Amino acid sequence: MSIEQLKERLFAEGEKIGFTDLELYYEKKESLTIRLFEGEVDKYDFSDVQGASVRGLYNGKTGYAYTEKFDEESVAFLLENAVENAELIESEPEELFTDKAEYEKVQFYSSELDTVKPEDMIEFLKQVEQKILSYDPRVKKVTGTQMQNQKSEKGLFHDKGLELKESNNFLLFYVSILVEENDELKSGFVFRITKDFNELDADGIVKEVVEQGLSMLGGRNYPNKNYPVVLKNEAAASLLSTFTSSFSAQAVQDNRSRLKGKLDQKIAADHVNLVDNPFLLEGIQSATFDSEGVPTRKLNIVEEGNLQTYFHNLKTAKKDGVETTGHAHRGSYRGSVEVSPSNFYIEPASQPYEQLYAGLEEGIIITGLAGLHSGADPISGDFSLAADGYYVKDGKIAGPTKQMTVAGNFFEVLQDIEEIGSDLIFSPMSFNGYIGSPSLKIKGLAVTVD
Amino acid sequence: MLNKALIEDVLQAALETGGDFSEVFVEDRYTNHMVLQNSRLEKNLSGRDFGVGIRVFLGLQSVYAYTNDFTREGLLKAAHTAAQAIQGKKDGKTTIIPLLKESVSMLHPIKIMPTEAAKSRKLAVMRNANDIIRNYDSEIVQAIVNLIDEEQNVLIANSEGKFVEDKRVRSRMSMVSIASNGTDMQTGFYGPGAYQGFEFIENLDLNHYAKESARIAKTMLHADPAPSGKFPVIIDNEFGGVIFHEACGHSLEATSVAKNASVFANKLGEKVASDLVTYIDDGTLENEWGSLNIDDEGEKSRKNVLIEDGILKGYMIDKLNGRRMGMESTGSSRRQSYRFAPTSRMTNTYIAPGKSTPEEIIADTEYGIYAKYMGGGSVNPGTGDFNFAINEAYLVKNGKIEKPIRGATLIGNGAKTILDIDRVGNNLGHGAGMCGSSSGSLPVNVGQPMVRVSEITVGGKEA
Repeated sequence: MSIEQLKERLFAEGEKIGFTDLELYYEKKESLTIRLFEGEVDKYDFSDVQGASVRGLYNGKTGYAYTEKFDEESVAFLLENAVENAELIESEPEELFTDKAEYEKVQFYSSELDTVKPEDMIEFLKQVEQKILSYDPRVKKVTGTQMQNQKSEKGLFHDKGLELKESNNFLLFYVSILVEENDELKSGFVFRITKDFNELDADGIVKEVVEQGLSMLGGRNYPNKNYPVVLKNEAAASLLSTFTSSFSAQAVQDNRSRLKGKLDQKIAADHVNLVDNPFLLEGIQSATFDSEGVPTRKLNIVEEGNLQTYFHNLKTAKKDGVETTGHAHRGSYRGSVEVSPSNFYIEPASQPYEQLYAGLEEGIIITGLAGLHSGADPISGDFSLAADGYYVKDGKIAGPTKQMTVAGNFFEVLQDIEEIGSDLIFSPMSFNGYIGSPSLKIKGLAVTVD
Repeated sequence: MLNKALIEDVLQAALETGGDFSEVFVEDRYTNHMVLQNSRLEKNLSGRDFGVGIRVFLGLQSVYAYTNDFTREGLLKAAHTAAQAIQGKKDGKTTIIPLLKESVSMLHPIKIMPTEAAKSRKLAVMRNANDIIRNYDSEIVQAIVNLIDEEQNVLIANSEGKFVEDKRVRSRMSMVSIASNGTDMQTGFYGPGAYQGFEFIENLDLNHYAKESARIAKTMLHADPAPSGKFPVIIDNEFGGVIFHEACGHSLEATSVAKNASVFANKLGEKVASDLVTYIDDGTLENEWGSLNIDDEGEKSRKNVLIEDGILKGYMIDKLNGRRMGMESTGSSRRQSYRFAPTSRMTNTYIAPGKSTPEEIIADTEYGIYAKYMGGGSVNPGTGDFNFAINEAYLVKNGKIEKPIRGATLIGNGAKTILDIDRVGNNLGHGAGMCGSSSGSLPVNVGQPMVRVSEITVGGKEA
């Protein structure tokens, strides 16, 4: 049974049993993932999957149910479950979006990627692996090189007539390596996302990942204290991604955000702007409509340090008496409508990364953070995280440190941003939106070395 | 779920380019997820996952294709796609062995199937937990109670004639408490789970679990910042086992051993841990959260002793890595769903109990950190470096628990830390968790009695 057939049957049966509004949300995804290990293809996965979720109003209450099996039996399954779920739910009903609206005209889908052959992917991975191994004798191992070519389609049908769909695709690549010297092991990791296979530059990737690993060898101890810190772009992006939920109106309304009551107040240093842009071509969360079908738009969330708005969907907006910002989000058809940013980032300024530490008499550069899902409390903003990085003396990198921990509070970090770099990058690890940042110079953080 | 003749055709089609082994995994899973927050049921979701995964081997080459198109054409298309990626001889003549249905011994009795208990009964238990948390103290401002239950039906068949079906039933309730004094917020968490139906939820001792969740939040709200430095660290039982799960358990999985990416590779029979340590993975523990009847390749689950009195005894091995290592499968092959090719994973992993009492261990510690409840963490799989948050920590001075501290993170290296265990308690306990790795997110138990590590780096806010 196709998604259109499922929709027809579901809406016809659903209206008969008393649903007053019905929506069917679906996702389809096809992908090919290839991973190489020591010259051999170590993973070769094809997928062709879909799923759909019904959301409807039954006796004025919202009920959900989903299925991955599209057949006649599923029509009854979806409606029975949606009714049972609606009967017990106690939150305010969710309004379904039925307005006629204008949507931004952007084409996210790149037909270029349809022409990428599995052989080309394998060849590229082999090339990267070989080049890494011959780049420097201290390279111990390429622990994995992987490429995924994925395309997805999302769509929304409403029994009152709304029909939306949108396709997107990406080529994702990563490589991770281990380098070793004097029994000390360090790792390197590089990630790329692109719409054009030919844009991937093997030599550039090889140089970046190996030098990243090598630069961490020979770590030394330094006194434990409060240092001025440069958070390199990737580390800054991963830190921001951990605390992004604080900007959600849902979290604010649920008393789970320290940004409650902070609208139009200064929450960051004067020169800090936070932007949400759903139209970035290479943004993983790009879309012209959100999960409720509302048109998306580019927004300044923080402007010159002042909090302008929270992220809203229809329900949180209604509660606050404002317009939705188009940030309704479903993690997948399995989940309910929540709130999430799209592509959300700290706006880059003009300083190159090297300039950010050039003026430091003594300081620490943090290149990577680990343990973000456990060592950080997304509500209080407190964090205590394992970190990698360098010690800076007289404006120059003196060398890597042994493993560090860095502790502080995210909301204080926002206020303590002294300088902003030009090197915006997005974190591949974010779950709540696609989150980016340039490198940031922070007044001070508590650092423990080894 | 699918008929035998069709499965045989799919298994055969998958071998058309010369593959030497093919496997079909069919999954039909019903899940419920309820969330009580702000004292009302705010989320009430249910659904059905259904799909098929087809795997083909040729020597050490492996290809996986998955789909939820369950028609004959859809499945044969997936089998052909997988076969085309195998670079074997086109005239390969591997013929499948006719499927013969095996019966499964049910190690984990289920009393009330999740679908048989009305959701209103589940909600009643959640409300009870919510009330206990909120009534615990005036500083408790929020309670979030999650209930998840599922029934996963699997069918596993392969070209060697295996044909086996199983039904897995799991239930879990997690309780988050948030305490606040107006400016500051701290959370407490407890999340018991079992390979059981609604009887597990109904019989949960909420006066223990819900109250502990609230008590942790309240205690941490009034805790001082943790110190930084190197200290002896006492890690209590149950979820405390998460450190050795992450930092040692993963390195004992064939996934990393077969690739020589593990510090424990090629060390069978050698001393790898403190003499006090015996480390076991046991999927047969009755009704435990990480338990199984059969693994996701259809092999019987079993008790695997990994480390005995400090000596490395064995690994957790799946079929493909078994080929790489020249070793037999240990019933350890698992996957989150049909969307993942299976690989060696943990089930219920724990440090066996020792002789010390918890009181003796604390009394014997001059200055150190006591981690009563551990939080999550992560490990760099290449280097074994780990970091873990402590959800509820105390400073120990002169053999006495002095005061609660917060913001403490443990940082170290797995292979070194397991050698540095200098006390093992007698209070073995298991804790439920979700473990994320290459074949997805899986229910596992971590466990241990109280242990003491002679020295771990603690990262805190007080530099």
